[in-house]
Amino acid sequence: MIAIQTADVDIGALIAAAKKQGTGAVVVFDGVVRDDDITEMELEAYEEVAVQELEKIAGEATRQFGLLHVDIIHRIGRLTVGENILIIVVSAGHRPEAYSGSRYIIEEIKRGVPIWKKELTKDGGRWVPGEHGHGSGKSR
Amino acid sequence: MTVKIRFFARFRELLGTDIVTEVVPGTMFTSLITTTARKNPAGYAAIFDEKGAFHEFVILMKNGKRIELTDAAKTPVVDGDEIAVFPPVAGG
Repeated sequence: MIAIQTADVDIGALIAAAKKQGTGAVVVFDGVVRDDDITEMELEAYEEVAVQELEKIAGEATRQFGLLHVDIIHRIGRLTVGENILIIVVSAGHRPEAYSGSRYIIEEIKRGVPIWKKELTKDGGRWVPGEHGHGSGKSR
Repeated sequence: MTVKIRFFARFRELLGTDIVTEVVPGTMFTSLITTTARKNPAGYAAIFDEKGAFHEFVILMKNGKRIELTDAAKTPVVDGDEIAVFPPVAGG
């Protein structure tokens, strides 16, 4: 499943579904809202483009690392400390491919998928600065 | 002809989003964004420098595809285009 959504997901169910024939390893990445003296976090996406980008990343990871299954669910909307932001579940025949595939996916998401985070504090809010280097408009 | 401009994140807070506007044929990408952003000085300053050039971190898309900042001045918008303008991404 590749999705941008407000709702949380059942990670246990995703793990069960990821155990395709030939699976020897499942790696789960769960990015959560950290307590950086904030009250909440607000996430926003250019949804149509973000989903397309996530699908491309999942496809590329599958090809590069021979993954058997990929889920990427990125949440948007208001989230509180400790809530899940991003869940990546991958399966592969062996752990090196599963770890590498999972790492590739999160780094690619951070590099280029149009999603933004605003940390809400008692005094207002601050946008989390994005990673520069892709502001030239160059295609991924 | 009509185009839609979508600002995101900090730019959206300053300038709004899903702005549907009438443009004359031959209007270039940069001039459309300049005209739209001028409605709020803080929004304009977030996207353009004092010389009127895009800040190097600004990302532009036309119908979901990135376009180079340097190409924007010579890229015409056409009827039905969706133009997106946003700061560096910070998902994950």
